[in-house]
Amino acid sequence: MSANLKFLVVDDFSTMRRIVKNLLQELGYNDITEADDGNTALPLLKAGAFDILITDWNMPGMPGLELLKAVRADERLAKLPVLMLTAEAKREQIVEAAQAGVSGYVIKPFTAITLKEKLDKILASRAAA
Amino acid sequence: MVLTPPDPERFRAQVAALQSAVDGGDANAFRHAFDAMCAEMDSGLLPELKRITAKAQSALARFSAEARLDTLAGHEVPDARKRLTHVVKLTDEAAHRTLDLVELCGPLVDEAARGAARLLDTWNPSGGRDAAVNDFLMRTRKDADALRAHLSELLMAQGYQDITGQIIRSVIALVDELERVLGKLVQIAEGVEVTSLVRSLPTPANWEQGLGPQVTGIANGDAVAGQDDIDALLSQMAAGK
Repeated sequence: MSANLKFLVVDDFSTMRRIVKNLLQELGYNDITEADDGNTALPLLKAGAFDILITDWNMPGMPGLELLKAVRADERLAKLPVLMLTAEAKREQIVEAAQAGVSGYVIKPFTAITLKEKLDKILASRAAA
Repeated sequence: MVLTPPDPERFRAQVAALQSAVDGGDANAFRHAFDAMCAEMDSGLLPELKRITAKAQSALARFSAEARLDTLAGHEVPDARKRLTHVVKLTDEAAHRTLDLVELCGPLVDEAARGAARLLDTWNPSGGRDAAVNDFLMRTRKDADALRAHLSELLMAQGYQDITGQIIRSVIALVDELERVLGKLVQIAEGVEVTSLVRSLPTPANWEQGLGPQVTGIANGDAVAGQDDIDALLSQMAAGK
């Protein structure tokens, strides 16, 4: 059941984590864990069976792109859906994220509808795989 | 600063002329010789005076420049960082306070909507219910939907704190660099040999770490225009695979 999906939300701003968490709850997802950068997120990902990762890019410590690459390089995490939720807007960044295997890319500021759309798309392709 | 005493030899001719004017009782000649001696005296003094004045001026200018640099590096720049950090903290608190209230309002709206729906469902319309009460319940149910949508917008609007916070943080990083450079300048002004100044200059932010949000009015190079642009780029890439 999709509502039982386990989310990890990674952002260094606690307000943004809270906003995403609220949005996910509105969409019916209640199993949400938070982390404030890649360094704290990676051990959580390795330890817990998360179904989807939503991460910011620009964070002190380990940035989101590095976290994405670390996830794809880890045999057990390689297939984890990763949604980048960031203000980073350079074309080369989006290309790089895509090449690193990002599952979706949402630019901040974003709308609840956009987040839902991208999540649905990711979850649909996850179900098909 | 000590003035060089004048060389008496330089005044031998003028002294002789003065002496001869005094001896001859010639007032005009005396006056002439006296003026000549004063002129000779001044000609030696003026350059010396100018030199001293210039030196004093540059010492003063240097002193005030050093004092200004000291204040900048020691107080004003660190204060600027504290001010910016404080702004981030204030916006963070304000955003969290707003989110607290949004989270408190959500269940209240839901409860009102549920209550209205329950009454509308259970009361038999033909049972003689007051039309005004009926209208009120219908409107409450509708308003609750609108309120829920507004609360959701209110929630999303707090995303400004993340965006402004990221921008301010990049300015704080710049202020940190400025403080370091000013510190080096103070050392240079104090005569300490510093060769690492240029090497210590900030390196531009790299995109792998993250550049932060786009800012209107600042050249944004090859940035995308928005979500549609990103979606187009990604599907283009996916099609090209």
